[in-house]
Amino acid sequence: MNLSGTFAFAGPRATVWALLHDPTVLAKALPGTKTLTLAGPGRYEGAMKVSIGPLTAAEFAVVVTLSDETEPSHFAMQIDGKGGVGFARGGATVDLADDANGGTVMTYASDIQIGGRIAAVGQRLVESVGRMMMKQALDALNAELRTRMQAGS
Amino acid sequence: MKPAAFDYHRPTSRSEALALLADHGGDAKPLAGGQSLIPAMNFRLAMPAVLVDLNAITDLSYITRQGSDLRIGAMTRHRAVERSEDVRVAAPLVHEAMPFIAHVAIRTRGTIGGSLAHADPAAELPAVMIALDARIRVENVQGSREVPAADFFTGLFSTALESGELVTEIAIPAAQADGSRTGTAFEEFSRRHGDFALAGVAARVAVDGSGRCTLARIALFGVGDRPMLASTCARLLEGQTPSTDNIRAAAAAAARDDIDPTSDIHASSRYRRHLAGVLTRRALERAFARAHTEAVRP
Repeated sequence: MNLSGTFAFAGPRATVWALLHDPTVLAKALPGTKTLTLAGPGRYEGAMKVSIGPLTAAEFAVVVTLSDETEPSHFAMQIDGKGGVGFARGGATVDLADDANGGTVMTYASDIQIGGRIAAVGQRLVESVGRMMMKQALDALNAELRTRMQAGS
Repeated sequence: MKPAAFDYHRPTSRSEALALLADHGGDAKPLAGGQSLIPAMNFRLAMPAVLVDLNAITDLSYITRQGSDLRIGAMTRHRAVERSEDVRVAAPLVHEAMPFIAHVAIRTRGTIGGSLAHADPAAELPAVMIALDARIRVENVQGSREVPAADFFTGLFSTALESGELVTEIAIPAAQADGSRTGTAFEEFSRRHGDFALAGVAARVAVDGSGRCTLARIALFGVGDRPMLASTCARLLEGQTPSTDNIRAAAAAAARDDIDPTSDIHASSRYRRHLAGVLTRRALERAFARAHTEAVRP
């Protein structure tokens, strides 16, 4: 699955960068996240429960390792998720740039392999689920960003 | 290939079923024909704690003409809909779509309400109901409400159904009452018959006495997380006299602007988009041809 796109955040790059590195914020934003902790420098560990409509939630143990970090403009991630119904493994890059209105444009690209039972049965749905989760996460991060901006002003 | 343990109820009345769903809330799943739910349970992708089997409720299975509506009970089997003369006459689009739903054995068991409530993004009936402006009746212990098909499908396997609610009936309005003539057409492509559609389209158009298009409802499926109403496409058709060029441009707009298909091992996003354009053009050509030749109803 290749998920890529751009997203406009309504706030400055430094704040967006901080949000994207804050496990507490990420745990709230990423749909189905039960726990997410900073396990070491650039290494996040957590547990996610992904549910799609009527399908019973599938639990994954997730490890995300950040690399290639150039604050506040670029980082790469290695993503490794394992669960009873399958696995998700791959990489992603995130680039942040200022836009004209004081906001931040995020450009992301990812290539994630899905395997196991979930891929055998739900292959045709994987990308839709990925897109849906990405959209929910980015919208939630943007909402958190707005809250912080209002609190700060 | 065995499901996780679950409690099983087989109510014999609608009110009993609704009470069970209300009692168990999100833990309970209604069982209609079981052609999607049971495989999902056997793969343990779905593990409901409670099943409320609707198959012993006899008054949820019917096809009737009522006023200008065709009403179909939620537990009506696909096969009964497919073979119904009332459906063929009053809702030819439904009749045309039925053979594309899986295989005969599955249609013998699967139900119209089950298919709509399941909301598979590649399913035929959700798109057909949107194209027909059908209304979906849902009930819970407190009462009932009608949801327009266009508002019912909210995402991947997700609908406007709340916990404790059950789809009980589908109401399909009969042809336009304003004297305009209606034509419908259905197109779908899959590698093998009965597979999930790579792309498909349900189209309904109406033309007035001078041959101008007064209405175009085009719903695409298999190309998003839910059936997609092609509104850009419709805007290019409505108010115009349909022509080869006009239809071609509208179909191209549907593929370009109205959908954002995903890629999987079966087909790339680009291929699905191309397919959607071709199928939309074919469906529109046939729908308009049918509208032009349709006898004016008494």
